[in-house]
Amino acid sequence: MFNETSIKEIEEIRTKYPNSRAALLPVLYVAQREFGWLSPEAYEAVADLLNVPKATARGVGTFYAMYKQKPMGRHLIQLCTNVSCMILGAEKLVDFLKSKYGIEPGGMSPDGRFSLVIMECIGACGTAPAMLVNDNFYENLDKKNLEEILGKYQ
Amino acid sequence: MKIITITINGKEIKLEKAVTVLEAARSAGIKIPTLCYHEQLERYGGCRLCLVEVEKMPRLQTACTLMVTDGMVVRTETEQIADVRRGILEFLLINHPLDCPYCDKAGECDLQDLVERYGPAKGRFKEKKRKVKESLADSAIVRNMERCIMCTRCVRMCEGKQGASAIAVIDRGGHSHIEPFSGGKFDCEYCGNCVSVCPVGAIMSRLHRHSYRPWQVKEQHETVCPYCGVGCTVVAQVRDDVIMRVIPKLGSAVNNGMLCSRGRFGYEFVGSKDRLTVPLIRKNGMLTEATWEEAITLVAKKLSDIKVTFSSQAIAGISSLRCTNEDNYVFQKFMRAAVGTNNIDTTARTGFAGAQGFIENIFGQGATANIISGLANSDTVLVIGGDPTTVNPILGLQIRACARRNGNVLTIGNVEGLRNFNPSKLLPKLQTEVTLLEGIVTALREKKGLPGSNAALEAKIKDITISADEVTRKTGVAETEFLTFVDLLADAATFSLVIGKDIVQSSGGSYKLLLLSAINYLANGRIYLLSERANEQGALDMGCAPDILPGYRPVAYPEFRKKCENVWHTELSDKPGLNLFEMVDAAEQGRLKAVYVMGENPLCNIPDSGRVETAFKKLDFLVVQDIFLTETAKLANVVLPALSWAEKDGTFTNMERRIQRVRKAVHREGMDDWKIIAEISKNMGYNMDYKGAEDVFHEAAKVSPLLRGLTYEDIENGDNIYPYKGEPLRDAMEEIQADRSARSVKSGTLYLKIERPLFHSGTMSTKAPALINIYPEAVARIGAGTAQALSLTEGDVVRVKTKTGSLALFVAIEKNDDNLSVKISNNFEGKSAFRLTDCNLDPVTKAPCLDGIEITIEKVTA
Ligand code: SF4
Ligand code: SF4
Ligand code: SF4
Ligand code: FES
Ligand code: FES
Repeated sequence: MFNETSIKEIEEIRTKYPNSRAALLPVLYVAQREFGWLSPEAYEAVADLLNVPKATARGVGTFYAMYKQKPMGRHLIQLCTNVSCMILGAEKLVDFLKSKYGIEPGGMSPDGRFSLVIMECIGACGTAPAMLVNDNFYENLDKKNLEEILGKYQ
Repeated sequence: MKIITITINGKEIKLEKAVTVLEAARSAGIKIPTLCYHEQLERYGGCRLCLVEVEKMPRLQTACTLMVTDGMVVRTETEQIADVRRGILEFLLINHPLDCPYCDKAGECDLQDLVERYGPAKGRFKEKKRKVKESLADSAIVRNMERCIMCTRCVRMCEGKQGASAIAVIDRGGHSHIEPFSGGKFDCEYCGNCVSVCPVGAIMSRLHRHSYRPWQVKEQHETVCPYCGVGCTVVAQVRDDVIMRVIPKLGSAVNNGMLCSRGRFGYEFVGSKDRLTVPLIRKNGMLTEATWEEAITLVAKKLSDIKVTFSSQAIAGISSLRCTNEDNYVFQKFMRAAVGTNNIDTTARTGFAGAQGFIENIFGQGATANIISGLANSDTVLVIGGDPTTVNPILGLQIRACARRNGNVLTIGNVEGLRNFNPSKLLPKLQTEVTLLEGIVTALREKKGLPGSNAALEAKIKDITISADEVTRKTGVAETEFLTFVDLLADAATFSLVIGKDIVQSSGGSYKLLLLSAINYLANGRIYLLSERANEQGALDMGCAPDILPGYRPVAYPEFRKKCENVWHTELSDKPGLNLFEMVDAAEQGRLKAVYVMGENPLCNIPDSGRVETAFKKLDFLVVQDIFLTETAKLANVVLPALSWAEKDGTFTNMERRIQRVRKAVHREGMDDWKIIAEISKNMGYNMDYKGAEDVFHEAAKVSPLLRGLTYEDIENGDNIYPYKGEPLRDAMEEIQADRSARSVKSGTLYLKIERPLFHSGTMSTKAPALINIYPEAVARIGAGTAQALSLTEGDVVRVKTKTGSLALFVAIEKNDDNLSVKISNNFEGKSAFRLTDCNLDPVTKAPCLDGIEITIEKVTA
């Protein structure tokens, strides 16, 4: 299931914790990176590798928002719609993402290119509206620059 | 010791040790409401319902987690507390569907009771309630997450006590719910212990869904589980002579509130439509309904005739490991006194009897009668020859508990049920166990020296020398692993050895038992011999064996014979009779003319069952007394319907040799097994007049030194365990014989392995719908590697073949299998693994060797 590098990485992680259960969180990250999301198979692979019960692995994984429980697009848009961003038009951007790319909040574009997660303030209120695409930060968004930015993510 | 004094609601309570405030209150009869607390589980402090006021503490405290300290002053019912409880309950009801009128839990629901007592009359929340679909994916358990209050009792039970970790809290906050991994089906051990602890109607048994309300249960009867040799206490709740459900009992000695799937969900065979109701007599080749009188007269006459025409020795009896001690006692007495033969045996002969005899011959009688719960307190447990968590599940839990307490759990071979507990395991190559065990004996002897207390055993092991190097070369076990393993054994202070049937039923079995006995001796441990049937030990102790009388005393000893002769008013033969396998031989050769089978299904349960069938067909007269028309019964001349476990009184003796009362729970027309036998006996001119089961027990207690004059009153609480009072009886030590011949094996060949599943026990469990739904049919279980190599997928139909026989089965694929074996169980009539095995016996234990049987597997194309 896991590729060689991941297995090595997991073994390495494993040595940093007193028991395999404690290593669950970082190993779930490795799984998410490798499989894109935590599918039942991914949970099972983690459980097998760490010899923890698979229900326990899934219980832990579903507790945290950072672990994805469904397939994700190639790129993850995390757009803020909290107060400042909302006042400055974030909701229109949500509509735009829907009409232009077919992405619903919490969903994925039909071509599998983008996933959209709505955030509650990412600390950029002064330069709202703001978003993250994968690990990159963008501010002062409007439809035009949003389209431009997303164009870089194929 | 310092006494701790605390005051609760003005009442002074003195405590010898520090407990929680909740426990202190309960001990003084003060009730504090709780939801997440459960006496079997780790403390959690999640629901906050048990909040109490403690003087000098700023905030309310949870009584279930707070430990008492000297001088503490606690109040449990104040205005402030009532307010808080009301608030908590209001919160708990935000998402609750309030469907009590429709919910099976109503009447015994903690939430309902608490809301009724403390709760708000009305909630203030206007928001929509969360909707979660009830899961009906399983036949045994229903999951309704709208009613869940997130106390996590089920999860703590499944993980911390059952050790299955099959369920978890999924998601968080208001979306949290309890789910098995699949999200739908539990696919778990189906012990139902989560059902026991759920305080509300969120996880419930499906067996009695919408069929009654708790207050409609009119009677309940404490009795013993009918399935395996652990002998768990169960409570059968009954309405109108129907068992509504079976539940465990907190505080019971063997299983303390826990059950396995068979014990909890396997009771419905009692009310099965397939139960036999009237006697059947074969007329013109057909089994035809008859009256009791006809049937009894016919059996008596036929047996008497055969006795006269041939001899008593032409008749044999097979009695039951599921019938009570009383049934078995009367049956063997009937065979010995009325028929006049020692030709009596049980299927305990297929392993348990021989292994126990072998071990007792080394260590004395009672060597295998050890307290099951003691396993949890051992510092080291070695498991070999099977998976205790499926054969004797509640015993298996004790091994898991040992691991949880940081005990060392060691296994030789893969033990799937212990996988989550990371046992230290050695995996010797096929047929190299002997070398491995010899290596362990050598190393232990060198490390610890011979204790000098058992000359016979020491004579056998003093010259064994197998070096670690040789172990590695022959068995493939890495030297470091071997050495660590041996160190753990050598360092054990309290050692337990658990022996499963796979070792007993293997070539060289007696020699392996010798080596295991030696390991146990050197490590100063106790032996647990897994037992698959509820009264396997009892049937043996009652003398249902060709060479022993009640009390496990040899027929050859004149003084014991005398004792029985005096009570039975007859003369007894000093010659051991035919054992189970010799009966089959004798029937095949025409020497045996009649067989009386009580509560057993030889066609399924004796290896090489094809041959058993041919042999039984040659009999002049076959009587089968059973609760179902089994494969064997279908061959019978007379079939006698018996009462089941739930319908009669008596006793079972479990593998600890604990004698426990089986109590009648439901009434059904018919006769107890012993009663039927007594009637036939009377018709043969040998009177047996017992007023009831107790009367039978009374007589057995007179004859059997194992019962030592016990009465039903003495065993009322189930705390009578061999050796009752005082020292175990010791047999004269004979020289130890053991046979070490091992069947040869080739690599690249598949071998048959007997599967001993968790969800079935004999063929009786196949009449329990809940268990059948979980494990519906006979399968050939193969490893993923084997499946791939043979291009087989789950559900394919295959033909498996051995030298002895062949079967068509569905394929089931196991991820963690060793890929060397094809596992088949013998729970399904007509598809029993024993159709595929021969029946070569170990010359010493007389147990069949079921290893090294080559098997081929081939896809059947439709
Ligand atoms: S039935 Fe037993 S194994 Fe299954 S989830 Fe409940 S407690 Fe766990
Ligand atoms: S299912 Fe029952 S036991 Fe489990 S958390 Fe919910 S209410 Fe508690
Ligand atoms: S462990 Fe054995 S005796 Fe106990 S409930 Fe299960 S089958 Fe019955
Ligand atoms: S409100 Fe959008 S970044 Fe703070
Ligand atoms: S019972 Fe004490 S917090 Fe739940």
